[in-house]
Amino acid sequence: MRVSLNWLKDYVDLPTTDTVELSRAFDMLGHAVEDVEHFDAGWTDVIIGRVLRIESHPNADNVRVTHVDLGDGVEQQIICGAWNFEEGAVVPVAIPGAVLVGDFEIGSRTIRGIESHGMICSERELGLGDVHEGIMVLDDDAPLGKPFESILSLPDVVFDLEVTNNRPDVMGMIGVARELAAWFDVPVHYPDVSLPTVPGTPALDVTITATDGCNRFVAREMRDVTIGPSPLWMRERLRKAGVRAISNVVDVSNYVMFEMGHPLHAFDGDSITGERLNVRWAEPGEELETLDGVVRTLGSDDLVIADDDGPTSLAAVMGGARSEVTGSTSRVIMEAASWDAPTVMYTSRRHDLRSEASARFERHVDLNLSPDANARACRLLLEIGGGAALEGIVDVVANPVEATTVAMNLNHITRLLGDDFEIDSSAALLRRLELDVVVDGDSMQVTVPTNRPDLTRPADLVEEIARLADYDTFAETVPTGPVGGLLVEQHRARTTRELLRGLGLTQVINLPFVSEEELLAFSSATPEGGTQDVVTVRNPLRDDQSKLRQSLLPGLLRKLRDNRNRGAESVALFETGRAFRARPWSDDPRVPEQPVLLAVAAIGPFGNSNIGTKSERADATTALAIVRSLAAGLGLDIDRHQSVAPGFHPTRTAGLRIGDTTIGFAGELHPDVADEFELEDRVAIVEVELSAVTAEQTSVQLSPVSTFPHVDFDLSFEVDMAASAGELAASTRRASDLVEKATIFDDYRDSGSGLRAVAVRYRLRAADRTLDADEIATEREKMIDKASALGAKLRGGS
Amino acid sequence: MDTTTNLTDPMNLAETLESLRADSVAQIDAAADIESLDGIAAAAVGRESPIATARRGLGSMPAEDRRDAGRLINEIAKEIEAVVATRREALLAQERAAAIAGEAIDVTVDYLRLPTGRLHVIQQVLDEVCDIFVGLGYHIAEGPEAELGWYNFDALNTPPDHPGRLESDTMYLDYGDPADEMLLRAHTSPVQARYMEAHEPPVYIVAPGKAYRNDTIDATHLPVFHQIEGLAVDESITFSDLKGTLAEFARQFFGPGTHVRMRPHFFPFTEPSAELDVSCFNCDGGESSCRVCRGVGWLEMLGCGMVDPAVFTAVGYDPDAVTGFAFGVGVERLAMVRHGIDSIRHFVDNDVRFLDQFPG
Repeated sequence: MRVSLNWLKDYVDLPTTDTVELSRAFDMLGHAVEDVEHFDAGWTDVIIGRVLRIESHPNADNVRVTHVDLGDGVEQQIICGAWNFEEGAVVPVAIPGAVLVGDFEIGSRTIRGIESHGMICSERELGLGDVHEGIMVLDDDAPLGKPFESILSLPDVVFDLEVTNNRPDVMGMIGVARELAAWFDVPVHYPDVSLPTVPGTPALDVTITATDGCNRFVAREMRDVTIGPSPLWMRERLRKAGVRAISNVVDVSNYVMFEMGHPLHAFDGDSITGERLNVRWAEPGEELETLDGVVRTLGSDDLVIADDDGPTSLAAVMGGARSEVTGSTSRVIMEAASWDAPTVMYTSRRHDLRSEASARFERHVDLNLSPDANARACRLLLEIGGGAALEGIVDVVANPVEATTVAMNLNHITRLLGDDFEIDSSAALLRRLELDVVVDGDSMQVTVPTNRPDLTRPADLVEEIARLADYDTFAETVPTGPVGGLLVEQHRARTTRELLRGLGLTQVINLPFVSEEELLAFSSATPEGGTQDVVTVRNPLRDDQSKLRQSLLPGLLRKLRDNRNRGAESVALFETGRAFRARPWSDDPRVPEQPVLLAVAAIGPFGNSNIGTKSERADATTALAIVRSLAAGLGLDIDRHQSVAPGFHPTRTAGLRIGDTTIGFAGELHPDVADEFELEDRVAIVEVELSAVTAEQTSVQLSPVSTFPHVDFDLSFEVDMAASAGELAASTRRASDLVEKATIFDDYRDSGSGLRAVAVRYRLRAADRTLDADEIATEREKMIDKASALGAKLRGGS
Repeated sequence: MDTTTNLTDPMNLAETLESLRADSVAQIDAAADIESLDGIAAAAVGRESPIATARRGLGSMPAEDRRDAGRLINEIAKEIEAVVATRREALLAQERAAAIAGEAIDVTVDYLRLPTGRLHVIQQVLDEVCDIFVGLGYHIAEGPEAELGWYNFDALNTPPDHPGRLESDTMYLDYGDPADEMLLRAHTSPVQARYMEAHEPPVYIVAPGKAYRNDTIDATHLPVFHQIEGLAVDESITFSDLKGTLAEFARQFFGPGTHVRMRPHFFPFTEPSAELDVSCFNCDGGESSCRVCRGVGWLEMLGCGMVDPAVFTAVGYDPDAVTGFAFGVGVERLAMVRHGIDSIRHFVDNDVRFLDQFPG
């Protein structure tokens, strides 16, 4: 809502015109100032003059020689190229020495042998509009010889206010004035809505069939109106309000919309077929050509005003071309209607026709304002367009509303705003808003007029009290609540992210939208895989991104590719976020399953790097190492077993288990998928369900730390190519109580001979003694026996 | 030196050993390295040395001379060994010094690089804000992102015809009963309603997470962004408590000199409602050319207000028994303001050159 300060002064006596103070008032009233625009005369030495005589130029056909009186009775000769005026026209004249918009200096000069002392100005030359075809023709009574800016209401300031959706009343200058009047505790001056009329009633029978779309329809007929331009003062106010002047009829309806917050619609009374108008829902497929020349196909959600020939306008949103006021119109129907706000909202959006009017109707226009808005518009049109207003009006009320009464007490106020508030001072604040308040002890009855539909409950009135009390005056206190803290899972989720960060991974946050192809390439890390249970966005941003991810990996792979394309050779990323499956969620069966997953993807050199030597490149072993470090950091036993999962490399992937529960997969990206994502390298990938690693663990109990010496020895086993060496090490380790750890330190494979040798280093130590040679030999035999039972043959040892 | 035969003669012995001592000490002092020192020591006091020979010859010496000769041999042997030890120490020190001098590195070169990762700057801000509120006595609550229309709108007193419900604003999902209006939550506020449904007052929570809007990505819009919702419900929470709590948050997040102001605003789920402005941490309102606030002095930071009684009713609380406040802050906004980030796109581009700039 653009508010001209000069215009605003018509309705309220402001104690200050300081823009900083006024901006603060607007801000603290809840109408945030988004911009403050200063309007000044963009020129010097432009004087109001009257064209006395016009002669043709002897040497040029496209210009004329004018003789202008600048109020001093002296004729000034000025050559002018515009043809939109005649002798007697009052015009703005830039005299020699004047500077116009864009530092354009005006002097005396000779044009084709004739002297010209100045220039008659167009709107554009003065920065007042776009019009350049003709010069500005001023009102006949403009004071000759006076500076042009003296009739322009300059300088001025326009405040651009953000008006919240609940305040239809502030979408008009009067409503804005009412707010400032309450803030400064000064009165409001309302405009004159009295209307001189002539006897008669419009020959129009209006029916509201769609009573759920229209609350009230008021119409008055104006006869013998002369269509023409509006006076300069009105054009200037409209310019500052942000709309272009069109003609007096259109300008008046816009003017009253800005003044009172109630949009109006004027149409040509002679264009109506028959004498009946019906406000009804459109028939599906019905067509209407609107004022912008577009033929629109209507649906049953569209509200129209129809005559005997069908729709004449799209109610509240745009008039029809057929009933448009034109230069030859003389019978004007001025309509002031109140429409159902949601209907206007849907229609204006559906047809992409959002306007100053729809912005007001969407907020709800007070139907008890309609007669006054109508009268005000007709009064102004009488003043500037002549003619006569008929006394009788059409007024159909479909959904009457009346002022409401809200009962509240002091406790409603103090429990929210604090104990400093008293009933009388609170009532006084409400009265400033033109609310009628009757106080009785600690209670009050507040009567709310229909222009404030937002005030229906005590809490709403508490806000009004707080607002006028000034939010700045409230003290700052902090409640003494209970003790806060992170839950164990929340703490461990943070630890998880910190561990991954420490491993050199960078966290990304991706949009959870994926394509069908990405979904197919990758389902979430479950053995069954597939693209069942997909959740689809009904109104996606892009049709190819309409699915919700089931895995974080497609998003991560995209980011690997993007970063590689930007020149990063080594990219190691992780993400934590929800994935979605179309089946009931155990946390809340009413919504789709949406667990938080943790995923890793790394490509290129990974881990420590030494100068001059090539770093290890990420592959399946990287993924396994990351899982191992994560497990170690979180104190988890994560078992790995050879596995397959969609999108993962068929022979280089581990299923991850904690106890009997599969928590995810780690390994390498399937080469086919790598191709799809244009990744020309091996990619290490991990995906697990985050809650599986962040779940609370039983508290760690200390194992005794032995003070006795250890003994290390190595065993080398010949094993099957497909054997699990990890299982071999773990099993042989369990064969002896004295083994502190068993580490695989070599895994030799000769694919030619089919030989595979796994070397394990065992560390033995007792808690209570130094081991002797016999004991060590006994334990060693236990391990060899265990290995043998698992099919691993001892190759040698030391 | 032909000494083997006559070393049993005390005179001869003394003479020989004296000259050995003098020669050895000179050689030892001149030894250039440990290896030559070892050779000199072996020649002087080793198995084949005159000292050893002399010792072996003690038995064939007259008894009366034996004691003195033995003492002399030991004396000289000890002396030579002591000189060797001193020289050895000096040579070792020299060798260490030479080795140290020879293994110099250029400390300005990264010979070894250990990996360094990053937390996303949004994650950092999420954690930091949550920590501030944990310090103020809050717990962290989370909720689903694929959410029921009831929690996203109805429970939060949003009228059925609110424009936020339009498909142009909110993303809907094809899932379940259409009457449930399954959607991607448009704010983190549904967590408020869910938490209150499941917990009796008092409630002090913050709810961090993603929110979704049907907005195309540009410099100021993302279809998915992060919010932190705050909710405090107790027997006597006041508007001043809201103001003081957010002021404390602002001081901890932006700096101790920060102050706040609240301006009336409108949200369906709070009444009274407010927008919170934070004084510009860059210029404190003093500079018209300030790049952060553009001279306004205030930074629009978040929406907040006293919980609307309709919300309490919707979740089964008695609106006459409790009061509360709620707020919702945009995490991207916090990060952009604090770090001078010019476009919200950066957060989802996930360019490592961007992410690397925020060590956290």
